[in-house]
Amino acid sequence: MSKPASSPSPARVSKVRRTRAAEQSGVHYPRWFWPAFASPAIAWLLVFFLLPLYTVLSIAFGTVDPIFRTPLPVWQPWWWTTSHVVEGLDKTFGLFQQVYLRTFWYVLLASAVCLVLGYAVAYYVARHGGRRKTLLLVLLVSPLWISYLMRMLAWVNLLDREGYVNRILTFLHVVPQPVGWLEGRGITVILGLVYGYIPYMILPLYAFLDRIEGSLLESGRDLGADPVSTFVRVTLPLSRPAILAGLVIVSLPMFGDYFTNTMLSGSPSTTMIGNLIDDSINTAGQGPEAAVLILILMIMLLIPIGYYLRSTARAAEAR
Amino acid sequence: MRRSAGAAVALPSLSAILAACTRPGETRTPEQIDLLVPRPDRPVTLPMTGEPIATDTPIESGAELQIFNWVDYVWKAIVRRFVEENSEHDISFSAVTTFNNMEEAVSKMQAGEIEADVFFPTIDAVPKLAVAGLLQPLNHELIPNLEENVWSVYQNPYYDQQWRYTVPYTVYTTGISYRRDVISDSQIYGMANPWEILWDPAHRDRVGVYDSYRDTIQTALLKGGITDINTGDQGDLDLATDELLSMLDLVNPRATINGSYKRLPQGEFDLHLSWSGDIAAGWGYVPEYTRDYYENLGYWFPEDRVGPVDNDCIAIPANAPHPRLAHEFINFLLDFQNAMDNFSWVGYQPPMNDAQPALLTEAEGLYSQISGWAEPAEYVLPWMESAVVRQSDFDVGYRQAPLSPEADERWNDVWQQFKAGVKTGE
Repeated sequence: MSKPASSPSPARVSKVRRTRAAEQSGVHYPRWFWPAFASPAIAWLLVFFLLPLYTVLSIAFGTVDPIFRTPLPVWQPWWWTTSHVVEGLDKTFGLFQQVYLRTFWYVLLASAVCLVLGYAVAYYVARHGGRRKTLLLVLLVSPLWISYLMRMLAWVNLLDREGYVNRILTFLHVVPQPVGWLEGRGITVILGLVYGYIPYMILPLYAFLDRIEGSLLESGRDLGADPVSTFVRVTLPLSRPAILAGLVIVSLPMFGDYFTNTMLSGSPSTTMIGNLIDDSINTAGQGPEAAVLILILMIMLLIPIGYYLRSTARAAEAR
Repeated sequence: MRRSAGAAVALPSLSAILAACTRPGETRTPEQIDLLVPRPDRPVTLPMTGEPIATDTPIESGAELQIFNWVDYVWKAIVRRFVEENSEHDISFSAVTTFNNMEEAVSKMQAGEIEADVFFPTIDAVPKLAVAGLLQPLNHELIPNLEENVWSVYQNPYYDQQWRYTVPYTVYTTGISYRRDVISDSQIYGMANPWEILWDPAHRDRVGVYDSYRDTIQTALLKGGITDINTGDQGDLDLATDELLSMLDLVNPRATINGSYKRLPQGEFDLHLSWSGDIAAGWGYVPEYTRDYYENLGYWFPEDRVGPVDNDCIAIPANAPHPRLAHEFINFLLDFQNAMDNFSWVGYQPPMNDAQPALLTEAEGLYSQISGWAEPAEYVLPWMESAVVRQSDFDVGYRQAPLSPEADERWNDVWQQFKAGVKTGE
């Protein structure tokens, strides 16, 4: 059976099109040219994601040195042991359950505060920043130029019993005597998380809000909506992808954060998952358990990431 | 000594990956493991894993002294003095390489990431490091100051008989530091069981313990009346767990590593579990450098001296680039005046024969003498005389010895319960 000459195969058609396009632009690119641009990213992923991830797996399913009790990764999957994984799961649903709940609660509250404050700021800069937009943006991003550690140290000084926050509060008679902000309070940890991560919420929100066409808002007004309902029915639904992106960007690192709690509280009553992992890493014999806790946390975080990817994909399809 | 949250899972070296032909973790013998749990009544002579350097080895010319130590645990002025005294050998020193906790230090040494001339291990790390061949035997002829100046208890310590690998660096007791402007001496010393003050709800939110499982769990054991601070008994450890969980309920303690020497003097705590050396150094961290302010700092340790007492060590890693210089430096640190001057800044007392207890609370240390901004302070402030360590303390006190791996796991379980902060009411 022979194919009719008038119907070339789809592959041939696309090749012809590519060649024509190249001829038109006057440049010939070899086949590998464009995919080669992905190679640094692929190398990056291999070296800084897949290899470390496999190391974590090899430690989680590995063993410990009988003398030093440091983790000994087992690289060959056929020698993997599941005892540490079972133990880690046991603790996750037992001893550590409260810590997981506490962490979720802290992250939820901190992300919500980030969203409310961040949205207001981003909205103001995008809509009413005017000529000062760039200056405002620089000011908003400037905390990121200082390391997280330094920013938390600054907070330690501010929140101290003798610090400025207490001095102002007592001067204004808001509180009768200095508040022990740093004496193991969950609220301080939550505020610390907000302070540490809020710039990451503001930036995507700003970028998105700034691109909303003014004409859309005007049409809302023309159709009789007052400013509040324009915001609720036009701006807010339009900014949903940015809200989701902001929430994902701030909440994921918050789940793994241990430093904020260490610096601003130190009390076991405010321990987060990150602190458990950090403690395990620093305890002889618990290296594999730390790796298991890391894997459990990663799997848990796949849920919000999956939701985010799905909803952005849907939004793209809708467009 | 400070520990901050920080160490990460290190990526394995290429050699470790290539060496993974056999299943790891099955190469140690039970005899080796026995060596790891010495006790004062079951002393251990560590095996020789090599030969000490020859006595006539010349000091390495042009060497840079490499120190691997805890943060703030040696006064750089003393190291610089050593460099000056050895100027004919053209040696130099730039900075101390520090670690935050012994696990981090041991894993770095084990991975060969550190090339240090001297290292400052705790007792529990010494047998492990020696058995694994990571320390080198010392040449005693190059360290004459040990025999000359140091307490007799360290001429043959239980954890390293014949001091093959280590010399003692500092000694300390573990008690309670407190703010005397909040708690009077008579109040705490008058209590039937002063450990209970760390559980007193009157000091809620103002109590600190060490972020160090051995010291904090041992405190719970002692509060509960159990004096074997190296126990592996599950019943004892259950009691410690109950005590620690009730502490969470009663006082909401914070676990710190700088709470006693820094944050209590600054007013952040009223009470803190404390190594004697931490509170002795505390005057250097107060907000006002006056005698009046120093008087706010106090230290409790049992008056009959029956409490936890211990020491830290100095050793030379097997891969030390300048072992002869390292011997010279150790001998230098065991010189009476050098040790005392270092003590004046570090706060941790050297076990020196000439460091008479009365001298320590009467004489002003070098650091205080050169601190023009501060009113003078004795090595140990006179009203916290109980922070002075005596050799006799080691006859009656409790020594924190290494735990067997099984016991250690139980201790870690207790610690995890405490650190998870799950209160009994939740």
